[in-house]
Amino acid sequence: MAGGPIRSVVAAGGGMVAWGCAAALRRKLPALEVTVIPIPVAAGALADRIASTLPSVLDFHRDIGLEDSDPVLRAGCGFRAGTLFEGWVDGRDDYAHVYDRYGQQFGTTSFHNHWVRAAKKGGAAPFDAHAPAAAMARAGRFLLPEHRPAGSPLSEFGFGLALDVDHYTAMLRAYAQHIGARERPAAITGVQLRAEDGFIAGLALDDGGTITADLFVDCTGPAALLRSELDQSFEDWGQWLACDRMLIANAGATEGQPLDHAIAHAAGWRWAATNPARTSHGLVYTSAHLADADAALALRGSAGVEPGAPIALRQGRRPQPWLRNCVAIGDAAITLEPLEWTNLHLAHNFIDRLVAMLPDRDCAAVELWDFNRQCAAETDRVRDFLVLHYVASRRTDPFWRDLRAVAPPASLAHTLSLFGDRGRLPFYEDETFSRDSWLAVLIGQGVIPRRTDPLIDSVPPEQSDRAMATIRDSLAAIVSTLPTYSVFLSTLKGQSAP
Amino acid sequence: MASRRVVIVGGGTAGWMTAAALTRLLAGQCSVHLVESEAIGIVGVGEATLPHIRAFNERLGINEAEFMAATRATFKLGIEFRDWGRIGDTYIHPFGTFGPGNAELNFHQYWLRLRQQGVAVPDLEQFSVGCMIARRNHFALPSGDSRDLASTFGYAYQFDANLFAPYLRKLSESWGAKRTEGRIVTVHRDGESGDIAAIELESGERIEGDLFVDCSGFVSLLLGKALGEPFEDWSKWLPADRAVAMPCRTEGAITPYTSAIAMPAGWRWRIPLQNRTGNGYVYSSKFLSDEDAAAALVASVEGEPIAPPRQLRFIAGRRARSWVGNCIGVGLSSGFLEPLESTSIYLIQAAITGLLELFPEPDISPVDRGEFNRLIDLEYDRIRDFLILHYHATERDDSPFWDYVRTMEIPDSLAEKMELFRRRGRVVKYREGVFLDASWVAVYLGQRVIPQGHDLRADAPGAESLVAGMVQLHRQIAEIADGMPDHAEYLARYCPMAA
Repeated sequence: MAGGPIRSVVAAGGGMVAWGCAAALRRKLPALEVTVIPIPVAAGALADRIASTLPSVLDFHRDIGLEDSDPVLRAGCGFRAGTLFEGWVDGRDDYAHVYDRYGQQFGTTSFHNHWVRAAKKGGAAPFDAHAPAAAMARAGRFLLPEHRPAGSPLSEFGFGLALDVDHYTAMLRAYAQHIGARERPAAITGVQLRAEDGFIAGLALDDGGTITADLFVDCTGPAALLRSELDQSFEDWGQWLACDRMLIANAGATEGQPLDHAIAHAAGWRWAATNPARTSHGLVYTSAHLADADAALALRGSAGVEPGAPIALRQGRRPQPWLRNCVAIGDAAITLEPLEWTNLHLAHNFIDRLVAMLPDRDCAAVELWDFNRQCAAETDRVRDFLVLHYVASRRTDPFWRDLRAVAPPASLAHTLSLFGDRGRLPFYEDETFSRDSWLAVLIGQGVIPRRTDPLIDSVPPEQSDRAMATIRDSLAAIVSTLPTYSVFLSTLKGQSAP
Repeated sequence: MASRRVVIVGGGTAGWMTAAALTRLLAGQCSVHLVESEAIGIVGVGEATLPHIRAFNERLGINEAEFMAATRATFKLGIEFRDWGRIGDTYIHPFGTFGPGNAELNFHQYWLRLRQQGVAVPDLEQFSVGCMIARRNHFALPSGDSRDLASTFGYAYQFDANLFAPYLRKLSESWGAKRTEGRIVTVHRDGESGDIAAIELESGERIEGDLFVDCSGFVSLLLGKALGEPFEDWSKWLPADRAVAMPCRTEGAITPYTSAIAMPAGWRWRIPLQNRTGNGYVYSSKFLSDEDAAAALVASVEGEPIAPPRQLRFIAGRRARSWVGNCIGVGLSSGFLEPLESTSIYLIQAAITGLLELFPEPDISPVDRGEFNRLIDLEYDRIRDFLILHYHATERDDSPFWDYVRTMEIPDSLAEKMELFRRRGRVVKYREGVFLDASWVAVYLGQRVIPQGHDLRADAPGAESLVAGMVQLHRQIAEIADGMPDHAEYLARYCPMAA
C-alpha cells in the first residue's frame, strides 16, 4: 500500500489527552513507536483540565488496560453520579441529569409518555424521582452498580469519575511509559513542513534537536501549535454558545458529593464539583454582559478563593481535525464550554477512532474523510445537547433572552418541534447522550409535549399513576439502606489498603 | 380525542399488515376500513423476509408455530448468492455474525491478517454459525444466552405471501377491521386542503375517511395517481425493471435459506416453502425480452411447474414523500426496491412502525409528516447502496447487462464505502441501517472486494494463539451445526402445515 504502514507517532501535549492517546496507541498498536512531547497544559485546554467526566471514561480505561479501580485507588479520584441543574428556568425546581434510566417502560411505550400524561393532569412527582441514580445521589448516597444484585434498580446506572487531575495525569503518564511510550521533554520552537505535499516533516525543539514522525497528534490545546500550521479553518458556534469567557477557581477539599452543581447565572452559569483532592469552581460567561472583574468577584464569592486569569473561549470546531499527517485531538480540534463535561469524552472518542482507523503513511484522503466525518457528526450532536440547555431555559436576564431569540441548529430545531409537539425524540446517528439524557434535560427544563402518545391510551391513567408511585416507593426503600457518598468512598479505599 | 377513520386502500401484505397493527395497537383511537378488490389480486413476490418480521409478529401477539403452519413457512438463515462475483462463486449472507460476535474488533480483521500473512485459513463463512447450519440444511432456534456461540445467528421466514395476507385479515377482522370488496373508480379530494375526502367504488359506494393509507401496490392509486407525488427513479443504478415468477414442486432440499442466482440479465430467486418452491427471474427489459426471460426461468426451475409464468413490471426508486396531506403510502405504492435482499416486507414494517409512532391528531401536524418522511428516506437510502453493491462488485463480463452494472457510475456514498473496505477491510458505519457490519463483509468478500490491508489492532495477538483460537472456533461451530436437526425434520415437528 502507498507509503507503507505508519511506524512512528509524536503526540504533542502534556495533559490527560496526550498521555491517554499515547497509552491507547501503545496498548492497541504495539508495533508503533510513540513519543510524547510534554509541553505544559494551556489554560484553555479544557479536556486536560476539567475534573468531572462522563461514564465513557471507564470504557476508555478498560480499552487501554486500566482497572476500574485504578484511578480511585492509585490517583485519588472519586465518583460522580450526575449533575444537578439549578436556576435554568425561573420558578422551576432544580433537576438531576444522571446516567440512568428515567422510569421503567410499562405497556408498549416509553415511560416518559406516562409521566407526561400525569404532568398535564397536574401533580406528577418530579421526573427525576423515577431515575434510580437520581434518587440515590440526591440523598447524598452512593454505591457502585456492581454491588447491587443483577436486575434490581441501581444495578445498571452509569457514573463518571471526579478526577484529581494532577494525580490522574501523572498516573496516565507513568502507565503510558510503562507500556512503552517515550517522553521527550522539550518545548516546540517550530513546525517544519515538507515542500512537496505540506505534510509535517518534523518539529524543531528548544534543545536544538528535531523530532520526526510519520504522524503527529496535536494535543496542545486551543493554540493547536501543530495543526494550525496546516490551515486555520474553523466553524464558529458563537451564535448558539455565546459564552466567550471562563474562570476556574480551585478550593480545598470539602465533604464529597455524588452530584455536581451547574447553576445558571445572569450572564452564563457556574459550577461547583467536588473531588477527593479539592472542590472545583468555575464561571462560564459572556463578556458582553459581564466584565471580567465582576465575574472574578462573583466566583470568589461562591468559591471562597481567588480564581485564575480569565480564559477566552471561541466555541466551535475545526471542520477537519485531521489534515495530511496531523490530527488534532481535544481543544486543538474543538472548543466547547464544559457544560455536561463532554471535553475529555470527545477527546477519548477521537483517540479511539485514531486507533481504529490508523491509515498508511500517505494518510489517504478517503480514510481521513471518514475520520473527520464521524468526528464532526458526533461533535455536532454534542453541540445540540449543550445548546438545548440554553434554548430550553426561561430566565429574564438579557443574556438568556437574547440566546433564546437565536434559531437553533436545524437538527436541534427538529428535535424540539417533534418533542414539543408529541413527546418523540428523533433518532440521529453518532449521538453521545442517550434518550434518557435528552429527556432529563428537556423535561427538567419544563419542555412538556403538547399531546400525549396515542399508544398509551390502552393503559388507564390510574394504572400509570400506581406504577409510578411503586417505582418511587421502591427506590426510597432501597436508597435508605445505602451508605453516604463519603462513607462509601472511605470504605472502598480502606478495604483496598494493603 | 375523536376516533380517526382510517381507510386502507388495497388488501395485500401491506394492507393487511397495516390493518392488523392499527386494530391491535391503536384500538379505540381509530376505526379501520380496508377496501380491496379480488379482481386485482396481490403481487406477493415478497416471500422471503428479514429477521425484523419476528418483532412485528411478537408485537401483535402472533404465535410463531401457528403462523408458520398457516403460511407454509420455512426458516431462513440468510441468502445464498451464486455466480455474482464470478460464475461459479458462492457465498451466504447470514443473519448473524462471523466469529463470536462480541469482540472489540470484527472477526474478519483477524481472518484478513492471517490470510495476508499467508496462513491457510478456511473461508470466512466457515466461521459463521448461521452459514454452517445453512450449508448443512439443518435448523434449530438460536440460544437465548448471548455468551453462547449458538446465539450468534438470527433467522427470518420464507412464507407464502398469498397466505400471509388472509392470515392477517382474519386477525384484523377479529380485532375490529371492516372490509369492503370493490374496485375504486374515483378519489374525491377536498377543494380547499387538497386532502383526500373519500373514495368511490364501482358499486357507487362512497367511503369517507380522515386518514388514507395507500397499499394499492405499484399502481399507487392515491399517492401517485390522485396526489401526483413525483417518483424518484433509481433505475440507472438498479436497472432491473421486470420479473417473471413461477412456483414449482420442490425437487431439491428445503433449504433454510433463499438463493439468489445471478443470470445473464439479472438474477433468479429460489425460495423453498413447506409445500413448494418459489422461483423468479428479475431482469432488465433493456437487456432481455419477456419471452426469453420466461423461457430462461422455465428452463432453470428444479421441478414441475405449479402455475404458468407470471410477469411483473416495476421501476426501482421511491416517491419523493410517502406521507402527503392525509395520505400515507405503505409498501410498493411509496417505492420499490427489488427483492434481492428481501427488504419489501421490512419496508412495509418500517412504514407501519412510523405510522403507529406518529399517529396524527385529526388536524395533521406537519411535524408528524416531516418526521415520517425523514424516517422512510433514511431506510430507502440505506438499502439502496447495499443493493447497488451486489451488482457493481463483480468481475463478470459475459453479458452486456453485467458490463453495464460493472462499469456504471455509483453514488459517492457507496464509492467511499467500497474504497475504505478495499484498503483495510473497514465497514463504514454510515447509514448502515438495517444491514449491519457482517452483512457488508459477507457481500464484499463474497464478491471479491478484497482488502489490501487490515485493521492494525488485529496484529496485537501472537500468531500462534490466534491460529489456535481459530482452529478451536472452527471446530466448535462445526459441532453446533452438526448437532442440529435437519431443517425439513424440524419444520415437520415444529410447525407442520395442514395436510
